[in-house]
Amino acid sequence: MPAARSISVMIVDDQMTMRSLVRSGLQQVGFTDIREAPDGKDALDTLMTRPAQLVISDFNMPNLDGIGLLKSIRSTPAMSKTAFIMLTGRADGQLLRTAKEFGVNNYVMKPFTVATLKERIEAVFGKLS
Amino acid sequence: MTSYVAQEQKSQDMQRVHVVQGQYHVTGDPNVMLTTLLGSCVSACMRDPITRVGGMNHFLLPDGNNASDDDKLRYGVHAMELLVNAILQIGGQRDRLEVSLFGGANVTTNFTNLGGANADFAENFVRREGLAFKGGSLRGEKPRRVQFWPALGRVRQQLLIDDPQTQVDLRIDITKLPQGNAVEFF
Repeated sequence: MPAARSISVMIVDDQMTMRSLVRSGLQQVGFTDIREAPDGKDALDTLMTRPAQLVISDFNMPNLDGIGLLKSIRSTPAMSKTAFIMLTGRADGQLLRTAKEFGVNNYVMKPFTVATLKERIEAVFGKLS
Repeated sequence: MTSYVAQEQKSQDMQRVHVVQGQYHVTGDPNVMLTTLLGSCVSACMRDPITRVGGMNHFLLPDGNNASDDDKLRYGVHAMELLVNAILQIGGQRDRLEVSLFGGANVTTNFTNLGGANADFAENFVRREGLAFKGGSLRGEKPRRVQFWPALGRVRQQLLIDDPQTQVDLRIDITKLPQGNAVEFF
């Protein structure tokens, strides 16, 4: 049973309010090692120097969107095993199929509850302590 | 297009789109006018002045004991994000977006000022996200009709008076008001 505090997380969303909400939800679940980035490019630059075990990323973002970030992470050997959860604002089957094709681990539809966020993370990492 | 998107209603050259609660609509067509009726709800009228695309949403935060502050925030952020993303998809650029806010009236007789909570959320969202706030009309006690031409950058508001006998047309065409005295939204 992995401890939430032992998992490093990167939140990627161009809306600061949404990043704050996700951070607040993660903290309620027990995560402590949390970083944020406003777009995929910024996140990738940061992850290149210090990878995270879990990336929670929005889809629609400037510079590099969620799918672009996912592809870049999967094609970088040092990060290829990073868990990737996509945040999406709409039930877009094509988008989810594309994300799955590039190796997304799970997704969360907005607006979401802390319980849903925890459930989706546990579906990837197993029950959190 | 999702079910959230309002349906267009064509009449001759002008297309009027009614944006009802829970919906949003975006356009770059100068012949499209977005309109809505607001009580406690809030609408954000948002546009990119360079590419001349924009849109309007219409939302009401969840109320009652079952909705926590976080629940309300999540719902409101989602409503705003749908509009922002839709504008970006038709050519808007996030760092150029201008926003006017309308609604949030205290139209109920009970002690819960739901309109005020909606207005507070909308103002805080715009400030926290660093969007250019261009004014608008929030709170008060009267419902409003808002008309918005995103491509033209024109917004018009009509306050709705309860008594039809004393109804006054308060429409203001902000593009025709003299500078310095105008409520210039865009």
